Amino acid sequence: MSALTASEAAMAKSTPEAAINRHDESARLGFRLTLPAQILVLFIAVFPLLMQLYISLTDWSPLSGLDWWGAWELWNGFANYSDLASDNRFWGALWRTAVVMVVCVPAEFLLGLALATLFADDFPGKRFFYSILLMPMMVVPAVAGYMFFMLFQSGGPLNDILSTLTGTRVAIAWLSDPTLALIAVMIADIWQWTPLMFLILLAGLVGVPQDQIKAATLLGANPWQRFTTIVLPKMKTIIIIALAIRVIENFKIFDTLYIMTGGGPGVATETISVYIYKVTTQDLIWGYVAAIALAILIVLSIATVFAMKRMAAVREVRA
Amino acid sequence: MSAIHLQNLVKTFGNFTALKTMDLEIADGEFMALLGPSGCGKSTTMNMIAGMEEPTEGRILFGDRDMTGVPMGRRGVGFVFQNYAIFTHMTVRQNLAYGPRMHGKPKAEIDRRVGAIAELLQLTPLLDRRAGRLSVNILQRVAIGRSAIMEPAIFLLDEPLSNVDAAFRAVMRTELKHLQREFRQTMVYVTHDQLEAMTMADRIAVMDHGVLQQVGTPIEVYNNPANVFVAKFIGAPGMNLIPGRPAESDRGLVVDLGPLGVTPPLPDHLAAALRRSNATVLYGFRPEQAAIAEDGEGLTLPVTFVERIGARTIVHMGQGGSAVKAVFDNNLRVAVGEMMVLAPDAASVRIFDVATGKAVGGRHG
Ligand SMILES: Nc1ncnc2c1ncn2[C@@H]1O[C@H](COP(=O)(O)OP(=O)(O)O)[C@@H](O)[C@H]1O
Ligand SMILES: [Mg+2]
Repeated sequence: MSALTASEAAMAKSTPEAAINRHDESARLGFRLTLPAQILVLFIAVFPLLMQLYISLTDWSPLSGLDWWGAWELWNGFANYSDLASDNRFWGALWRTAVVMVVCVPAEFLLGLALATLFADDFPGKRFFYSILLMPMMVVPAVAGYMFFMLFQSGGPLNDILSTLTGTRVAIAWLSDPTLALIAVMIADIWQWTPLMFLILLAGLVGVPQDQIKAATLLGANPWQRFTTIVLPKMKTIIIIALAIRVIENFKIFDTLYIMTGGGPGVATETISVYIYKVTTQDLIWGYVAAIALAILIVLSIATVFAMKRMAAVREVRA
Repeated sequence: MSAIHLQNLVKTFGNFTALKTMDLEIADGEFMALLGPSGCGKSTTMNMIAGMEEPTEGRILFGDRDMTGVPMGRRGVGFVFQNYAIFTHMTVRQNLAYGPRMHGKPKAEIDRRVGAIAELLQLTPLLDRRAGRLSVNILQRVAIGRSAIMEPAIFLLDEPLSNVDAAFRAVMRTELKHLQREFRQTMVYVTHDQLEAMTMADRIAVMDHGVLQQVGTPIEVYNNPANVFVAKFIGAPGMNLIPGRPAESDRGLVVDLGPLGVTPPLPDHLAAALRRSNATVLYGFRPEQAAIAEDGEGLTLPVTFVERIGARTIVHMGQGGSAVKAVFDNNLRVAVGEMMVLAPDAASVRIFDVATGKAVGGRHG
């Protein structure tokens, strides 16, 4: 067949129907190629989710003497979910989690951004301070928890320092006071996670084209104007990513906090993770735990989808 | 008020000297081209004029104002970067409006000025497009417009046309010249392309390895290169330079070029200058300024290569260590291996001292 007739045949074929057929064909091939991955995803994500959904509709607990797949014998419909709606301890924990997030994430962001701005320029001893700054991030959270636990004791170093500074004997019971305990927990989180924010934002800052900053300077922009009109817009994507990472991580705040206060005094520092942990290990009502976890997952997923949409919109604009 | 004086300018980076004692006077409203090969210190010079770099030594004056210590945002210079440095996250309109906006100009005035500059540079239909998605040719105009809108008395352009395609480059050469005539700014234009420098500049400053080689009008630099570097660098192809020894003959002083023969007698002023020094010299003439000797008297060389480039034919010749090029009309009939006898035009012959590289005999007509 000559080249001409081949191209004619191709042209004849490219009717809308033919196009749809070709599209179907390539979609089928794509499906077959991704099948192994799909099955894997099914097992590591979908199966546990379904299992959780199933248990959340029952009164099952490991003490009930039933295997988990037999939990239907303890079917209770949506009772767990309606309990959840009126569970004040749950809503309290959710509220504290939100408070911690609203304080910690912006604080980590602003501190991280300020440090990144500082480190974007050269100054003597920069490498040394850089290493020091990254250290908190590398400390095992449980160790950080013990460190802050000791720091905030009434006979601990923090009070000693305050005593020296003020000249009077300070013996604040940091971790026994509901408000101070929450503040202490937040300080520990900010201490540990500002470096991550700093690292991500520094990477973004270094990526801002220097010549555009010079161009802005030559056009008369002062440092603040340069920051708001060039640097911040260029860093938008990376800022959203950094905030998303910290929001998701901070929502799950647990280890450092649990070691410092155990969620106490009372429930003063009981966040959602601490609450779930207690319900799981102390009350052992796993059907209820599954319901809580699922509810939170749904809320987080919606938030993540929303954030991703925004990121996609930003990329669209920059492309 | 917007003349530029560079006085004893030196710039070193660590122990590398990028610019060695540069003195240059650029007149108010002049179009000055800084021409030289890559890495010769053109951008360094520009960056110091703009205030992006501080000179290691020396001073820069705008008019009679010493610019030492004046930060780059306050010098009132327009600067077009080689890669344009367009704000890719903004629209064309926002790019053009950036300068006036940062200076807190009222919105109505900004709109008026953006409208005018966009009209001038034919950017009006593109005003609301994202700058990040535009072609290089358009970015180039945006870059010029973004600086021009500030109506700077001094306009610095660092290789503004080196990234655009050839056709657009030709258009922009004319446009830029018009633009400068219209606004009467002092323009400093960096380029490594002599065609750009020749066609646009009032004067050209030729640089090499951080040293200013020659300053002059395009014709001066072409006709009377101050030294061997300029002679070779300016012109396409550059000047032919053949080593030889001055020798007396019955018709006057000639240069003995060894195997290539002896040259026709030198003009009187060159002969006078050479009789005084009597050192080994480089005999120079432009490839365009030589003819085939009808009487058989001239430099005799075998043809090694024939380069036909449309309107012209460049004939490469060579023997021993010396290579010579000559440019003819495209109807020249010549083949590789033939012997050619070249007679350089007597008035355009230039002589350079081998030891110093400098032109002998001063200025010519
Ligand atoms: N910031 C710098 N640090 C070290 N060397 C530099 C710096 N800027 C330029 N140079 C060197 O100075 C020389 C001149 O550079 P430049 O002025 O950019 O040349 P060009 O004439 O191509 O514009 C080059 O050899 C370059 O490597
Ligand atoms: Mg350069």
